[in-house]
Amino acid sequence: MHGKPRPIPKVPTRIRGLDEVLEGGLPRGRTTLASGGPGSGKTVLGLEFLCRGAMAGEPGVFVTFEERAEAIRKNALSMGLDLAALEKAGKVAVVEARLDGEEVLSGDFDIRGVLAIVEGHAKRIRAKRVVMDALDVLLRVYGDPQRERNELYRLHDWLMDRKLTSFLSVKAQLDGNMVHRYEFLDFMADCVIRLDHRVQGQVATRRLRVIKYRGSGFGTNEYPYVIGGHGIVLFPLTQAELPHQPLGPKVPSGLAGLDAMMDGGFRRAACILMAGTSGTGKTTLANAFARAACRRKEKVLYLSFEESQEAMIAGMLSVGIDLRPALRGKRLMVQTALPEAMGSDNHLLRALEAIDSFKPDHLILDAISACVRMGSESAAFDYLMRLVAVVKERGITCILTNQITGLLGGGEELSGIGFSSVVDAVIHLRFVDAGQEIGRQILIVKARGSGHSNRRESYYITDQGINFPNNLRLPSARAGQADSKDGGK
Amino acid sequence: MSKSHQAKHRARKEQRGHYLLRLFMAGNGENSQKALANLRRLCHQHLNGRCTIETVDVVKDFEAAVRNNILVTPALVLVAPRPRVMILGNLSDLPKVLVALRLPGSES
Repeated sequence: MHGKPRPIPKVPTRIRGLDEVLEGGLPRGRTTLASGGPGSGKTVLGLEFLCRGAMAGEPGVFVTFEERAEAIRKNALSMGLDLAALEKAGKVAVVEARLDGEEVLSGDFDIRGVLAIVEGHAKRIRAKRVVMDALDVLLRVYGDPQRERNELYRLHDWLMDRKLTSFLSVKAQLDGNMVHRYEFLDFMADCVIRLDHRVQGQVATRRLRVIKYRGSGFGTNEYPYVIGGHGIVLFPLTQAELPHQPLGPKVPSGLAGLDAMMDGGFRRAACILMAGTSGTGKTTLANAFARAACRRKEKVLYLSFEESQEAMIAGMLSVGIDLRPALRGKRLMVQTALPEAMGSDNHLLRALEAIDSFKPDHLILDAISACVRMGSESAAFDYLMRLVAVVKERGITCILTNQITGLLGGGEELSGIGFSSVVDAVIHLRFVDAGQEIGRQILIVKARGSGHSNRRESYYITDQGINFPNNLRLPSARAGQADSKDGGK
Repeated sequence: MSKSHQAKHRARKEQRGHYLLRLFMAGNGENSQKALANLRRLCHQHLNGRCTIETVDVVKDFEAAVRNNILVTPALVLVAPRPRVMILGNLSDLPKVLVALRLPGSES
């Protein structure tokens, strides 16, 4: 008798990340409402929805009540969407519907003028979608919430009658009595999206949240998003369990001594943390790995938040690691940025775009400790969790360096910001006071899915690279065999 | 030739204080009828018939709505004499309409 509830038909937005949150897209033939403060990206969201749809064969009408059509076209172009070309091809119509404010009001009126214009264009291009941007600006002409409301119901019916998939945006009114002005719209629309633009630790971040979706499930979290050169990108990390790749076979660390300590090296697709105080050789260790990988014709993406590419190359030359052939051979890609140059979401977008285009086998992030300068510890945590999630999903080996301060006691958090759970291997580097001189020691704290030495081993950084004086060899350094408790000497 | 003749004719009418009023409506609903009735009464009582009324149905001619930026209806445009004025609504507030059209005698 009772059939299963049938999934409602949806229209993909083709906006990266958004369709996952919406479990497929916006409701077909129905109304979606987006609200947010100034600068939250309402126009961009509507614009991208319309353009991507038009490019995929669903023409649409864009009605702008606030900005000029020319400004909208420029806006689109900055995201790589050629609105003018789509208009010329008859796939998009842009309607500039702005009152000039000089009109005299006398007696009752309604917005059927606009609807006639929209309908005319919609028929001409056989539109399936309509975006009405900054609807509140037109409605202001009523100067009366009750009349605004009636008009919106009329609009809603009109859109439904024509089976248009519509996207309406209104400005969130934050001040005084205006708070609930358009709240009733939430009940009217089938899908409601809130956009938010806030500043966290001096860095602006954007968040998107789906409030309701009639007849459909949806991701209920707040999702960070950025507006970049290719439009909007959402990061729906929390969207399901992460499909991590299992740890792969061994990959040499680039150092025979370290390979000996780790039963042959790192595991592919593992996340390896190298922690130590300043000067212990974290960057050198990471680059020894990078050079070896590039020599095997594998690709390494190096995200450096500590120094410029030139400074890193010069620094590595001084310890006998020449990265230039790897760079020339395009096996090593170095992406440098000041952590405070942009928000963590933009850093993430930049890294993800590099991963997409460069397709590295391994990724090195130098250093976690600098990421906190992206705004806050929670922003850094967010950035790292999302980055590691993507990297793991793609089976990319990931080396994170972390600069820790002070001498290390037991049980200290080596990652600094509490995400050791995603870390598969931890390597601890430290200085030791050896009487006349300072020595360095390395310890494998943990190595998931791998045997490893539990001894602290000495190493030297020379102009020929990193040396392990104990001439470590594979079988002799295995966990369970060595049992020194005091570590170094 | 006839165009310039028409223009001259219009110009003469304007000199005599002739009004050209264009009323944009959406369909023939109650509000449209009200607006038209109000406009006709105004023409009769306050302009002594010195006016021409043109009506445009934007549902039938959306291009006209685009050209004239008609977003809400009914909308009355005073085409002549210049300057152009736009009045939104069914014209039920007569004193306001008279002021907008720069007409004296808002006495009831």
